[in-house]
Amino acid sequence: MGEIKKRLPLQCPACDAPLRVGRLFCEECRTEVCGDFELPVLARLSDKEQQFILAFVKSSGSLKDMAKSMGVSYPTVRNILDDLIDKLSKMNE
Amino acid sequence: MGNKMIDKAVNPFIQIAGARALAWGALGLLVSTVICYYAGYHYHGLLHFGPASNPAWWCYAAEHLIVWLIPALLFYLGGKVFSHSRIRAIDVLGTVLFAELPLLGMTLIYLTPPMQMMANMDMSMSPQELLAQSFILPAVILSLLGIPFLLLTLVWLFNALKVSCNLKGWHLWAVVLVGILGGDVLCRMLISHLYG
Repeated sequence: MGEIKKRLPLQCPACDAPLRVGRLFCEECRTEVCGDFELPVLARLSDKEQQFILAFVKSSGSLKDMAKSMGVSYPTVRNILDDLIDKLSKMNE
Repeated sequence: MGNKMIDKAVNPFIQIAGARALAWGALGLLVSTVICYYAGYHYHGLLHFGPASNPAWWCYAAEHLIVWLIPALLFYLGGKVFSHSRIRAIDVLGTVLFAELPLLGMTLIYLTPPMQMMANMDMSMSPQELLAQSFILPAVILSLLGIPFLLLTLVWLFNALKVSCNLKGWHLWAVVLVGILGGDVLCRMLISHLYG
């Protein structure tokens, strides 16, 4: 049986508030770090949005190349990017 | 799979825009102009069609160009005002022209004999005489068959604006209403000058 691919939960399953990091640990020596850390901005995006950003970087920021590889029109890719920029701006406010 | 096909039919602009949409739309415009010329089918506005007094080929061409460029211009201006994206004129022009492709279906319906007979009927006849004509019922049914093509054009125009200008919410609805209804009024005003 294949390993289950777990997704990083971004929202509290009980009240939908954004989750923060409370505990980190080292897989090698089992050292644990506890505290209250904010998730990095990119980690707060959905899987789909993170995939989009990776594809954007891999295509050197060429929306035309991305549109070709994704099989969608240029304005569709541009709209996804612009909506993502909007979302990131709101996160930083 | 089925849902993807429906999405594609409702909003083809997720996949086609810019120069490709413009090329397909231009081909459609050319074919539509030729069919309209032979059928005597005039575009009085974006949403109004029928016979008219000017049979010259250039009149049909001008009607098609006006019906394309006026809504495209209104969409572009609306996009410039409300969109936070850097919109491209080629996307607006291409998607609007592509969105008008379903109107070809209505044009083809107009080529059928009952529609041609209805267009050429003697309007001095009494209503009873008009209704007694054998072609009236098939012509009414054919006219109704044209409605889905018009509705699809409206849906495609809505999505053309949504994709090419990245508008949402009330901005989208405001620009689409001004572009289509205001566009229809503007088109009718401009096209009326072609009929002398």
